[in-house]
Amino acid sequence: MNPDRNWKTLLPAVPGLAFLGLIMVLPVAGILLLGFTEPQPGLHNYERLLQSSSFMNIMRNTFVVAFLVTTFSILLGFPIAWFITVASSRLARIVLAVVLLSMWTSLLARTYAWLVLLQNSGVINQTLIEWGLISHPLPLVNNLTGVVIGMTYIMIPFVVLPLQTSMAAIDKTVLSAASVCGANRLSIFGRVFLPLLIPGLTAGGVMVFVMSLGYFVTPALLGGARNMMLAEYIVQQVQNYLNWGIGGAAAVILLVITLAIYIPVLGFQRQATTNT
Amino acid sequence: MNRITITGAASAAVLALAASTVHADETITFVSWGGTTQNAQQEAWAESFTEKTGIRVLQEGPTDYGRIRAQVESGNVDWDVVDVEGEFAMRAARAGLLEELDFDVIDRSKFDERFVTDHAAGSFFFSFVLGYNENSLPNGGPENWEDFFNVEDYPGQRGVYRWPSAGVLELALLADGVAEEDLYPLDVDRAFAKLEEIEDHLFYWGSGSESQQALASGEISMCMCWNGRVFTLIQEGAPVDYTWNENLAYADFLVVPKGSPNREAAMEFIAHATDAEQQAKFTNLSAFAPVTPAAEQYVDAEMRPHLPTDHPDEQVSMSIDFWAEHGPEIAERWNDFITN
Repeated sequence: MNPDRNWKTLLPAVPGLAFLGLIMVLPVAGILLLGFTEPQPGLHNYERLLQSSSFMNIMRNTFVVAFLVTTFSILLGFPIAWFITVASSRLARIVLAVVLLSMWTSLLARTYAWLVLLQNSGVINQTLIEWGLISHPLPLVNNLTGVVIGMTYIMIPFVVLPLQTSMAAIDKTVLSAASVCGANRLSIFGRVFLPLLIPGLTAGGVMVFVMSLGYFVTPALLGGARNMMLAEYIVQQVQNYLNWGIGGAAAVILLVITLAIYIPVLGFQRQATTNT
Repeated sequence: MNRITITGAASAAVLALAASTVHADETITFVSWGGTTQNAQQEAWAESFTEKTGIRVLQEGPTDYGRIRAQVESGNVDWDVVDVEGEFAMRAARAGLLEELDFDVIDRSKFDERFVTDHAAGSFFFSFVLGYNENSLPNGGPENWEDFFNVEDYPGQRGVYRWPSAGVLELALLADGVAEEDLYPLDVDRAFAKLEEIEDHLFYWGSGSESQQALASGEISMCMCWNGRVFTLIQEGAPVDYTWNENLAYADFLVVPKGSPNREAAMEFIAHATDAEQQAKFTNLSAFAPVTPAAEQYVDAEMRPHLPTDHPDEQVSMSIDFWAEHGPEIAERWNDFITN
């Protein structure tokens, strides 16, 4: 590509980049900077956070939730993506529409809907009690279970879409070839199909994991006090205690961890793309 | 929210036309917590204020302390009067985020002295009371915070406020035998040690409606609840009762963020909102108690027994100053306690 054409491709992107730069990058940088400057310049905010056992508990909660949500999203999303890939185009469109529709509905409305379903006097517990399957309501909300259920539901589309793209791109004759060469179903799945899906799986999985790390609304509504996650902690510090320094420092720690996960995956993906 | 703002502004505009005063084109923004509380504040305070002065009152919300700080620091203040929790009022005053109140406009002497400072005037006050579910405890309910910790005679989960704010450490210390007059400064270690005794029996409610739902359904057998919330439950026929014994009083305050361009109108608004008649009107609508003793004569007779103002002898006043100063460090301990 010659430099002239390069410049011409960049030009239309300038407004968007400027918008992101001014509206997002600058204020975010300002907040991150607060972690180093407030109330006095230095690293004391980091010192305080890293020595605080409550912060460590909150970080542990955050990672446990992100890990569980990613795992369940992949387990549940995988068959959906496969169904969309192999079903008749009409049926596939309907299933895809259902997946997308759930994404387009207000996050808050969906989270409250889960509250209605999961609480002790909620639909699920009342039905199970009426059927005589349980005598006391199951603790489905205000705990880890509630957070994982609510967030997995929200994250499934983010796994289905990239996975489905990866599946659709697989040349079916490759699978047939494996079969012709005598591979059984299990080894076709494990040694041919799954490796070809790695770019889609990592893209979806990392996106869900990283989004989950910073999630606020769903854990705040469906989680119990014991399940406090990082975003809620930052809100508490910034809004209730005006500890913007601590909030900024916690945000930096989250950002660094996110990048530490994300950058190697980006490199890995580039490798995977060049290999195919 | 928008609907409230628009109807508020519209009715205010109409009233402004009717009133012929020098303020005819002035508008202030009042910020509170939304929901029934702010509706009552609008009806009891804002509408009559516009009628009297011609100053329009825009309703906004919910209160967000981070935004107050951001507005003051950027010098671009568009919230004129904000309803805040007591400890935040003190902390914000110390951080220089608030205008000093103008006591030439606001009569300082009309307040219950617990509920007025140089930078903040009481908005309303309330108590944490010990509420219980009668079905869960058929042999009689708890009578004091000591019973709250007695899981043998009074089984079941206990609801406490999820956020680290005044109340839960106080009740633990009272239960542990600390006398009311020796409560402050709080012995934080002792309070947490006491709470650890019933760690497995604690349920953390995050909102008033959550506390109501858990108590009415029997999910928890008792709770530290806002008095107005238990009162509403009983009115709705829930199998719930409560005791005023050792009720823990705390207050919300009205403050003016530093640099408000409508400082004078804001002071007039606070003077108006804290006058006896307006305070009583708000109480009759909300079941929160008035901060000016003179308001009590205007409170509906059937409402009075359900207000903390009617139970001063059983009342423990919580120290707003103590929480303003130690709130952040207690929050660390509290986060540690609940996430562990």
